[in-house]
Amino acid sequence: MSDDITRRDALTASAGFTAMLGLGFWTEAAAADSAGTVLVTGASRGIGLEFVKQYAAKGYTVIATARDPAKAADLQALSKANPNIRLERLDVLDHASIDALAAKLKGTPIDILVNNAGIGGGGANQIFGKINYAVFDDVMKTNVEGPLKISEAFIEHVAASKQKKIMMVSSSQGSVASVRSPSLYFYRASKSALNMVTVNMALAVKDRGVIVGMVAPGATDTDFMVEVRGRIPLGKPEERTAGMIAQIDAFTMEKTGKFYEWNGEQIPW
Amino acid sequence: MSEQATRNSTTRRTVLQGAAALALASGPGTASAADSPGTVLITGASRGIGLEFAKRYAEDGWQVIATARDPKKAEALQALAKAHKNLRLETLDVTDIKAIDALAAKLKDVPIDVLLNNAGISGGAEKQKIGSIDYSVFDDVMHTNVLGPIKMAEAFTPHVAASKQKKIVSISSTEGSLTLISPRPDVNSIFYRASKSALNMSMINMAKALKDKGIIVTMQSPGLVSTDFVGSLRLPIMITPQQSVAMTMPIIARLTMEDTGKYYRHTGEVAPW
Repeated sequence: MSDDITRRDALTASAGFTAMLGLGFWTEAAAADSAGTVLVTGASRGIGLEFVKQYAAKGYTVIATARDPAKAADLQALSKANPNIRLERLDVLDHASIDALAAKLKGTPIDILVNNAGIGGGGANQIFGKINYAVFDDVMKTNVEGPLKISEAFIEHVAASKQKKIMMVSSSQGSVASVRSPSLYFYRASKSALNMVTVNMALAVKDRGVIVGMVAPGATDTDFMVEVRGRIPLGKPEERTAGMIAQIDAFTMEKTGKFYEWNGEQIPW
Repeated sequence: MSEQATRNSTTRRTVLQGAAALALASGPGTASAADSPGTVLITGASRGIGLEFAKRYAEDGWQVIATARDPKKAEALQALAKAHKNLRLETLDVTDIKAIDALAAKLKDVPIDVLLNNAGISGGAEKQKIGSIDYSVFDDVMHTNVLGPIKMAEAFTPHVAASKQKKIVSISSTEGSLTLISPRPDVNSIFYRASKSALNMSMINMAKALKDKGIIVTMQSPGLVSTDFVGSLRLPIMITPQQSVAMTMPIIARLTMEDTGKYYRHTGEVAPW
């Protein structure tokens, strides 16, 4: 934690100083050489962490957010090894913190906003006959309201960038047409709702040249899937994230508002 | 939905109405549970489509359990209850889990043929404009339109399972159809639309969960209806609550297990996801 703060302070100070000189590695040089800037929410673990790792490896400047970056050991280690990864504290449920980060990053173009943070709500809480309604709000706020608020708050940053992409990490579990057996009532409903939010957002910002889309990782072997590990086949996070990044790369205005699986299949509503 | 089916249904309705008229002719309020076509529980019955459903089902001789957040203040519903002994009022806020459980307990052993999840709110279009979204309405919209219907279905499954018709119908909206919204240029009521997509998903899940119990679960879009719900909006394609309910009741009447999980428009067409 103290190391991180020290490092971050040093980075910030150095960035400020070198920015003045016009030759810093963080702002000027990084921006000039960089493939672009990506902001990833929920970056502390799982697919979010993998997005950070892979975008950083591709030469992107990555703003990685997490509820508590100080406790995210893997993310800390990653950022120590990559000077182009910057950590920011962000709770997607906390609108004041979203607005504060948007203000802090004012003037920073964000090429790709990856709304990755999401929760499952726990399979055991969502079984018919004993549904635990206490988890409803957390699921809906994290998976629907959060991505909408973040997209709204960062629209100027994205519109000022070259690539102009807002991407939602959704799930084929949100595909109404694909439901075969009952489970995950709230989670599935939240992802259907997220898809509708995304479609509306895509329509709303089309005139500004901003592309809004959904990508899905499929069932992936992360902590998120701990309840089903060993019962269903799970993909590797590296492979699934690489697939989603390829889909994000391939997103054009013609595809805005659409929903793609990591392997390129279009997911039905 | 073929024309044939529509004609059959119309005929059936006419016959039913005839039977109800006969029952009424034999004396006001004599439509007992034994003679009744069934029992329907309608949420959000104080006004708009809910009120019209309550009226029409009561007129058709059904045992109607009409719920509203505050029935005492619902004058039209009060008047309806006075005119129809087969209509009973119950206080219910569908966002109140405990109140739903309490009503389910109170109605224990009352078979409910049709559970009509009608209560819903829009949240106000002016609060849902991208760029100036008022997030304070998010919870209300999601609780009323998604959590409420799920909880109602869960709590009243024993009542519905014990009935003859075994139907759970949720009033959704084509505003929740991703297929229909995607190509449209208008961005409107983003929480409301998202809540109806979420409701559809929830009811598909419910349909799968309840199939073994013989319960039919569907979603029904009422069309664009000129009620308080849409404020001062008036468009040529709008229909009245009377028209909407008159078109929807025959669809509900002829639902079979083959329809479970389907999303119908008031015209009888299946709406796309």
